[in-house]
Order: sequence, then C-alpha cells, then structure tokens
Amino acid sequence: MSKPPEDLKTPVYVEIDEDQCTGCVLCMKACPTKAIRVKDGRVARIEGICIDCGECVRTCTKGAIKATAPKGDDFTTSPDLVISPPTVLYSQFGEDYLPNDILLGLRKMGFGYVHDQSYTSEMCNFAVELYIKENRKKPNLLFPLISPACPVVVRLISFRFPSLLKHIPPLATPREIVAREAKKRLSAKNECSPEEIGVLHITPCPALADFAKQSVSQGDSPPMDKAVGINSIYESLKKNLQEIDDDMVLHHSSGIGIGWGMSGGEIAGMNRNCLAVSGLHEVIHYLEKIEMGLLQEVDYIECRICAEGCLGGPFTVADKYQAKHHLQKLVRMFGVERRIKYNYVIKLYKNGWFFTERDRTAFKDVASPLSIPDRIERLNRVQETLQLLPGKECGVCGSPDCPTFAEDVVDGKATLEDCIFFHNRKRKTSTRASR
Amino acid sequence: MALLQRSFEIEARDFVRAGEASIEVQRILKTIGFDSERIRRASICAYESEMNVVMHGGDGEILLTLDPEKIILDVKDHGPGIEDVELALQEGYSTASLEDREMGFGAGMGLPNIKKNADSLEIHSDKVTGVHLKIVINVKEG
Ligand SMILES: Nc1ncnc2c1ncn2[C@@H]1O[C@H](COP(=O)(O)OP(=O)(O)OP(=O)(O)O)[C@@H](O)[C@H]1O
Ligand code: SF4
Ligand SMILES: [Mg+2]
Repeated sequence: MSKPPEDLKTPVYVEIDEDQCTGCVLCMKACPTKAIRVKDGRVARIEGICIDCGECVRTCTKGAIKATAPKGDDFTTSPDLVISPPTVLYSQFGEDYLPNDILLGLRKMGFGYVHDQSYTSEMCNFAVELYIKENRKKPNLLFPLISPACPVVVRLISFRFPSLLKHIPPLATPREIVAREAKKRLSAKNECSPEEIGVLHITPCPALADFAKQSVSQGDSPPMDKAVGINSIYESLKKNLQEIDDDMVLHHSSGIGIGWGMSGGEIAGMNRNCLAVSGLHEVIHYLEKIEMGLLQEVDYIECRICAEGCLGGPFTVADKYQAKHHLQKLVRMFGVERRIKYNYVIKLYKNGWFFTERDRTAFKDVASPLSIPDRIERLNRVQETLQLLPGKECGVCGSPDCPTFAEDVVDGKATLEDCIFFHNRKRKTSTRASR
Repeated sequence: MALLQRSFEIEARDFVRAGEASIEVQRILKTIGFDSERIRRASICAYESEMNVVMHGGDGEILLTLDPEKIILDVKDHGPGIEDVELALQEGYSTASLEDREMGFGAGMGLPNIKKNADSLEIHSDKVTGVHLKIVINVKEG
C-alpha cells in the first residue's frame, strides 16, 4: 500500500476559527472529498483526504474558515530575492496600470529581481503545441493530455483518478521555469550555487503556495523558495504603484502570455483541439468522462479548480469577473500574436528546457486497509444501512449526506441514532409498542 | 459466489441521462478501491455498452456483479438485436443514423473497444429478446 506523498497531506493553511463557526453544514456539504464532519456543533476535518481546493473557504458565510498564507512566510523585501508574480496579478489593479507598471511597482517595493511569467507562459504555450505534435501519433500515449498547471487538479487526479496520472505531460509550468532560470542566472552572477538563491512566489492560491516549496526539478532546492498570497502584498504594491519613477522594460509578452492565468488562457493561441474547464464540479465531471475513455480526440485539456481559473483563486483581491474583463482588455491591447522567437523556442524544446520530472505516485488506500472482499462486504453493509435512512440529505447527523453517513455508521464513526429521522422513528415505534 | 450485485436501468434514446449508469458503476468500483487501470477498463466497457443500448437497443440495464475474482458487467436490452455480430465487432462498422453521428457517435469503435478492454466478452443477440453482453474483467491476475 502506498503512502500518500507529502504534498497530499492535510495542509496547514486552512484555519477554522472555533469562535466563528456555528456548526452549520455548508462547508461539509461543499467538500468534494467529504473530508468534513460537524461534531458537537463544530466543524472537524478528517485528516489526510483534503486536496486543498478551497471550497470550504468559499462557502463559509461566517468567516470561520480562512485560507491563511503558509506559516513563517511573512515576506521581507530584499534586493537579493527573486520575485515571480503570476500573470493574474496584472488583472488586480484596474485600468490604470499595465503589466510593466506592476512589475516596476514590485521593484519599487524593494525587490531586486522581478521576473515576469507572461513571456515564459507564451513560450510554454508553444511548447505544449510542439509536444502534442511530437506525440499525437504515438500509440501508447494517452489523450487528452491534462494540464499540470493547477496543483489542486493534479492532487485531485492522484486522489480520485489515479489512472489519469498518465495523461499529465512531463512539461514544466511557467512558474517552475521562471524560478529555475532565475536561479541559474543569478547564481552565475553571484558565483554561488542555484540552491542558495531564494525565489518568492506571489500566488493566487494556497495550493500554489504549497507547491512553490516542492521540487522544481533539475537540481533546484525548494526550501529556499517562499510564497506569499496576492492579498498579502496587495496594499503595499498598490501604494508603490503610485510612486513608480523607473522606466525599465520588464514585460515583453503579447496578450497570450498576459491571459495565461485565466480560464482558457493556457490554450489561447494554440492551434490544436483544446478545451478549458474551470470550477471544481465541472473539472470532476470532465475527469470522469476522460476516465471512461471519452474526449480522446481532444489534444489538451486545461483544468482549473477555481471558477474562471486563477482569477478566482482564494488569495486574489479583485472580483473575478471584473478582473476577467480587465484582463481581456489587456489581451486585446497587447494582441494575440505570440512575440516569441519560434526557432529559439524549438531549440530550447529539443534541449529539454520545458521538461520536468513529475511525481506520479497515486494517493490511494489511505482509508482502507481492508482486502477487496472485505471492502465489498463493507459496501453491502453501507447499502443496507442506507436503506434505513430517509434520504433527506440534510446533514443534521454531522455527515455530509446519507450515503456518507451510512459509511460512517458502518465504520463505527457514527451511530444510527445520530440521524434525527431514525431517532424519531424509533421513538414513535417504541411509544406505539408501549401502548 | 456473488459478493455484490447492483443493477442500473438504461432508457432507450434518453441521451440526457445516457452515461449515468456507467458513472455509477465507475463510482462503486472506486469506492471499493480496485486498481485504477481495471477501473478504467471497466468504465470504458460500461460506457460503450450503455451507449449502444441507448442508441441501437431498447430499454435495458447494466447489472454489475462482483465476485472474488471478477468484475462482471451484464448489459442487456430489449431492442432489435444485432444483425451480424461478427460484422459489428469490426472497427469502423456502424449503423448509426445521421442524427446519432451528429452527436459524435457512430465511429464504429464501441464494440471493438469493449473487446480490447475486457478480459472476456460474450455477445448473445436475438431478434426477439435483444442483446446481452457479458463482459468480464479479471481481478486476480492469470
Ligand atoms: N445493443 C445493441 N442493439 C442493437 N444493435 C447494436 C447494439 N450494440 C451494437 N449494435 C450494432 O453494432 C454496431 C457497432 O457497434 P459499435 O459500438 O462498435 O459502433 P457504434 O455504436 O455504431 O459507434 P460508436 O460506438 O463508435 O459510437 C452498431 O452500429 C449497431 O448496428
Ligand atoms: S485554479 Fe489557479 S488559483 Fe485556483 S487552485 Fe488552481 S492554480 Fe490555484
Ligand atoms: Mg457504440
């Protein structure tokens, strides 16, 4: 039985505020992996099966669940630190600021090395096309390819759709490449090893913050990397934007690179049969389809857990639809012709520049040490128990729905009396009997 | 000895709900925790046969049976039957209507795909009683 990889463990950044939590059932019902229960009027999480999707944070109306920036990652500006903002940052400040202004604003904040991701995104966009062209006809490669960009999707796949891990191509994401290249360049300049260079990732989501610390491959040392949410730097950056006095050119991409973070951004400009799916439930639905052998005619599918892609990330500040509107304007302004040097990118591609090793271990069997016949037996008992329940799906018992409650009962984590309908029915029959 | 048996109804020409029975099959196999490759193969077989019932057959069902060594899918319908089973198993052979083709079906790859993914496939077809596919995926190797 395989152990879950480190990154699949329960994250540290979702905080439940006991005082604010009223023990309602909203987050419990929203959780796609059914990792939440309400016990004694408070929310409790089952360790080990959370995929960091942030649904609970989004659904909580009481402000009791918060996505907090990773511990100890309070940033300090430093001239020696590489900073790499995601392209969605360009959508956060409204009409008055262009991508280059935002990069200059970060410099003004005191970061010495500001590396734009949009140009690299544009190169990656073309590299995916090259990869499809090279591999489409290979008999043993599975299509559609599924984008590795959203770490929650990758986790969802390892957790619930491990047979689809083979659909994720070994291509690095723009943020990984930017970090890797910045480290190489700066270490050459400072005459030190790349491991000694730290990169601060500004991220739209806790999942990416976590991801920033993981292996970026090709000899990088992740522990030097840190992450900070867009919301944590927002105010300070906004203030600095008004004081830019520099005229360096730090941004070079067309609209293709600028739009990369929004839903559909990754496949925009690709001359292939591609799809973009966003939002948790839609993504699950499409993964189910792919697992049934559908969509094989599609070359590449961009899946993002957040509705509207990373514009909907939990750490973003601007309203996602306004941000989208603004980003679309920028895309039009900068045009949809890639500004990359094609021959150069082809050369880089052939040299492996776009590739990375990915951990493809599935996350499975954590919950069940039982043998297959025992698990089938368990399922039969769950089915029998389910038949006793009213099917109201109310959640009052503390489990998200009747089927999960039935599982909890069979697993000894709840008793039938926790269901109020069962409880009442039993009382009724017993009063009748006593008459 | 059957350890578990579940049946899922399929309605002829109901393209809105088409595929749901196979998703249920897929979910059950996942809950039990078969390895992902077997689940994938079983899901493909379930889906392709369900779609054939919806498209070419009559009302029917998928019966999922698990025994200690096999995942068995019995897919039955009360439709007109397959005229020439030999022919139907050939890649590219399809009698799908224009309307079905417009929905993206009718490549004639369904039955060949089932055959490829199943460890064994039996097809019983009769003009009166309809089609019965018996698809087996072995759980134990060998
Ligand atoms: N349940 C059924 N009842 C009647 N005829 C069937 C049934 N299943 C298959 N057939 C016949 O066999 C043919 C081949 O089936 P197959 O699944 O291989 O292709 P298809 O369904 O036509 O196309 P595709 O599966 O690629 O969308 C069908 O076109 C149909 O004539
Ligand atoms: S869609 Fe983007 S912001 Fe949302 S979880 Fe995925 S990577 Fe993070
Ligand atoms: Mg078919």
